[in-house]
Amino acid sequence: MSRKKKGFIPALALLMVMSIVLSACGGKGGVEGTPEKPVELIWYTIGTPQKDVDKVMAEVSKYTAEKIGVTVKMSMVDWGDYAQKLQVMTASGEAVDIMFTSSWAFDYVQNARKGAFLQTDDLLKEYGQGIVDTLDPAFLEGSKVDGHNYGIPANKELPAQEVWRFNKKLLDKYNLDISKVYSLESLEPMLQKIKASEPDVYPLAVDKNQVPYVPYDYVIEKLPMAVPLNTTDFKIVNVLDTPEMKQILKTMHKYYKAGYIPTEAATLDSLTDLQATGRWFADRATSQPFADNLWSASYGYPVVSTPASEPLIYNWSVMGSMQAISANTKYPEKAMQFLNLLNTDPVLRNMVDSGIEGVHYKKVNDNVMENLDESKNYDMPTFALGNVMLTYLNTTDPANKWEEFKKFNDAGTKAPLLGFNFDTSKVATEIAAVNNVKQEFWAALMTGTVDPDVYLQRANEKFKAAGLDKVMAEAQRQLDEWRAANK
Amino acid sequence: MSAQTQIQSQSAKGRDFHKLGPVWNVIFHAMAGIFALMCVFPFIFVMIISFTDENTLARNGYSLFPEKWSVEAYSYLFKAGDQLLRSYGVTIAVTVIGTVIGVIATALFAYAISRRDFKYRNFFAFFAFFTMLFNGGLVPTYIIVTQLLGLKDSIWALILPLAVNAFYIMILRTFFSTMVPDAIIESGRIDGAGEFGIFFKLVLPLALPGLATIALFSTLGYWNDWFNALLYINTPNLVPLQSMLMRIENNMQFIMQNAQNTSLSVGVLQSMPQDTSRMAMVVLATGPIVFAYPFFQRYFIQGLTVGAVKE
Amino acid sequence: MITWEPLDVFSKTSTKNKAMLVMVLPATLWFILFSYLPMAGMVIAFKEYRYSRDGFLASIIESKWVGLQNFKFLFSTNDAYIITRNTVLYNVFFIVLGLIIAVAMAIVLAEITNKKLAKIYQTGMFLPYFLSWVIVGYFVFSFLSLDRGVVNRIAGSFGIDPMNWYSDPTYWPIIIVVVFLWKSVGYNSVIYLAAIMGIDKSLYEAAMIDGANKWQQIRNITIPMLTPLITILTLLAIGKIFYADFGLFYQVPRDSGTLYSVTNVIDTYVYRGLKSTGEIGMSTAAGLYQSLIGFVLVITSNGIVRKFNKDNALF
Repeated sequence: MSRKKKGFIPALALLMVMSIVLSACGGKGGVEGTPEKPVELIWYTIGTPQKDVDKVMAEVSKYTAEKIGVTVKMSMVDWGDYAQKLQVMTASGEAVDIMFTSSWAFDYVQNARKGAFLQTDDLLKEYGQGIVDTLDPAFLEGSKVDGHNYGIPANKELPAQEVWRFNKKLLDKYNLDISKVYSLESLEPMLQKIKASEPDVYPLAVDKNQVPYVPYDYVIEKLPMAVPLNTTDFKIVNVLDTPEMKQILKTMHKYYKAGYIPTEAATLDSLTDLQATGRWFADRATSQPFADNLWSASYGYPVVSTPASEPLIYNWSVMGSMQAISANTKYPEKAMQFLNLLNTDPVLRNMVDSGIEGVHYKKVNDNVMENLDESKNYDMPTFALGNVMLTYLNTTDPANKWEEFKKFNDAGTKAPLLGFNFDTSKVATEIAAVNNVKQEFWAALMTGTVDPDVYLQRANEKFKAAGLDKVMAEAQRQLDEWRAANK
Repeated sequence: MSAQTQIQSQSAKGRDFHKLGPVWNVIFHAMAGIFALMCVFPFIFVMIISFTDENTLARNGYSLFPEKWSVEAYSYLFKAGDQLLRSYGVTIAVTVIGTVIGVIATALFAYAISRRDFKYRNFFAFFAFFTMLFNGGLVPTYIIVTQLLGLKDSIWALILPLAVNAFYIMILRTFFSTMVPDAIIESGRIDGAGEFGIFFKLVLPLALPGLATIALFSTLGYWNDWFNALLYINTPNLVPLQSMLMRIENNMQFIMQNAQNTSLSVGVLQSMPQDTSRMAMVVLATGPIVFAYPFFQRYFIQGLTVGAVKE
Repeated sequence: MITWEPLDVFSKTSTKNKAMLVMVLPATLWFILFSYLPMAGMVIAFKEYRYSRDGFLASIIESKWVGLQNFKFLFSTNDAYIITRNTVLYNVFFIVLGLIIAVAMAIVLAEITNKKLAKIYQTGMFLPYFLSWVIVGYFVFSFLSLDRGVVNRIAGSFGIDPMNWYSDPTYWPIIIVVVFLWKSVGYNSVIYLAAIMGIDKSLYEAAMIDGANKWQQIRNITIPMLTPLITILTLLAIGKIFYADFGLFYQVPRDSGTLYSVTNVIDTYVYRGLKSTGEIGMSTAAGLYQSLIGFVLVITSNGIVRKFNKDNALF
């Protein structure tokens, strides 16, 4: 026993001395965060890890050390692993300064509420003025959680517009006109024609992730609570009870029975097989300017589209790509200065995006560049790394690309629930049950696989038993509060 | 000694030929053979699919005789080049070191609690068993490994978390207590051997089939592990094979689920071959370990010359 | 029942026991580090877990106590009955059938005279272990797909109408059990095979001299010698009776909603319920619940085993 004590006290003493020395070291060198003594920001972002990240970040660090006194250490985490890894890291309080977050990977609202991110209202005013000036106000307004900002949305396409996409080969072959197409019903004559003449082709490609478009704004994506887009009283309804949804599900079921929709749509993970072989005629997608070009290039055959909805600014479209400052960062001001620079300074933004000039890319003219061979070692997801409108165009891009984006953004109208984010913690038990019911019925109903006349009622009964009413009441209460606060 | 061994193995063979009638022999072969075929068939299928042309696959579905063959999936995976080789290296290193450490720790613990004369055997048995049911979850373990042990981005973060396993301990303990007669331990003691001497010289050789089983399971556990690398490894140099392949698999799943997201799907999806490379990954990941399998197998198929130590 | 004697009697204990204590030391340290220390995290089950700037411990301490609130979602609806029933029933079938088939296969392989073939069979049986549930899911789909599935094509050639397997729950209990056995028997039979190889050959020789035939040898020597192992493995499996293999119940039926009545188990229910909210507290609560029930069952059955044969019990 006594031997133990002897060992313990000197060890403790040593530890204390060390910590004093260490903290002294930290304090001695004068002000941190200057070009002479920059601070290091650890930045976690999404995407397949690239070989040259460290090399490029060394260049980036030279630039940012000079400008704002920071250096950058970037860690990329692959798409499919990002949410899980960051979840564990933030829950365990690991040291991170900046991290990617969004509505579809490492959920922004959820993690803001759990306390993963630093609240940035004041930082934005003080160090992020450039961001505030560049962004459409809807971005910052729509990404508020309980009235505060916790992340910086990337300046990119703001609204979401649903479109019908068509396989142009088939359109041309049968000389079909899509200018009159808008609703699901308006597709019918064409689907019929294709079904009759092309037995190998699925006229309407649908997989289990798709939900027919109805003019409602969902409180939570894919849970049946929503308000009508033209609402004035903001009353939350069960979307499965609305005439629009009933009608559209009937149509889907009719199409399913007619053989327009893949027989196994309700369990189909994706349409990639159909897209690869071109054995589809029409489907629905979310669009952005010049999306047709992207799709055509991606599939290897021409794809054209026509709107299926107005361009609307939803919470999820605003939160499509964000960078947040970690709650436990030691350098909140520096992190905000960096994000501000990233979103306003073309030199930095393009370095992060395309690498080192002359190594990874070369400039063709002022705002157009061409990738060099080395770019295969630094191939970054542009949309995930801040303001896309600062990035150089590719030689294949139309010259007016960013102007079109701006036009598209200006044309968007705000969905009624923009900026309202439901806090589910009071009804977590019911949400868990409701989610289970949803997954039991959702895909089968939405793909038209089952008869809505029978299954809508069954689903609603189960939703009721699971406590949907209680969830809706709580959502309504929060929504009313939010409206009162935002008048 | 060698004469004795020979006699033993002969008599072992002798019993095999004895009294299992030819009809039953055929039935036994049929049972094992048909089941084995059912198990092998999907594997052959996997190989065929991995060599199928992606478009043919998308059009015709799985087929044993594809219209068009292709090595596209492999060339996509081999694009990683030296990364793939390095990952093989990491996996082999982790597997070998981990299995050796794990089997030693497991065997020592299991042997001690198999001994009826060990005073605390029940306490330690329970101590191990309890961990099979209760665990604190991902986050606390993550903190132990990264903050307490400081193993982030270290090969030990791949080795230590899997080193010991209460399930293996329980199996091995049963092997020790059923295969090692008390008389042998007693005789070793009379010869003046210490406890460790008895364990290594007398007990281990008798329990070889059990040890081989545990070593096999442990090897496979390490070989197939990808999750620890997901959590603890950032440096590409230390990413093991399964983790590298799993990343690709996870990406495919993730992007499929988010196909509605145009920026994402258009930007990333196009560069990815789908089903065929998924199958090619299975082939690349299992090929080497299947070849390592016979090394363990001889300990539980051939019938060892166990009797040699018998008094 | 369990010896809970304090361990600091090290100095008094005999050299034999000391040697044993040294032997258990490495794994004991491991258990403390990797199992017992993290168990502190179980307290999250009773908290509304929120992050604190000051790290994990501070997060745990500062998070609000919510009592048993986090457990409620496991019992709140009708589904609670269905998922519990499914989980337990499938596990009972897995344990019983898995045991019988794995032991039978081990005996068959041990008795087959041609060792080369036995090795090949055995390697073959092991292969499914290497296929992930995602891949297994694809294969099952290639058999059962409505349009292109092998089963429907064969049925079609006999003039039978194609069947939509993924929307009809009738046959799924059988499919799940078969797929499980197919994937696990090879792995489990290895343990029994090794145990058979470890049986003292002189026992068989003596039996042969007494004129026992093969069946009598199997019944009177092989099976009794396997009993301790069978008992232990069954006890351990009982501890996991509230756990289900997620991939088997999620990937293989392709998460088809119409099949939930026979494929929804505790693990899939928890996953579906918490996927969108990511409440760590609730998932920890679910795990704790599964473990506690398993623990009680094991302790009970272990007590019963002890009554019959002390040596076969876990502790």
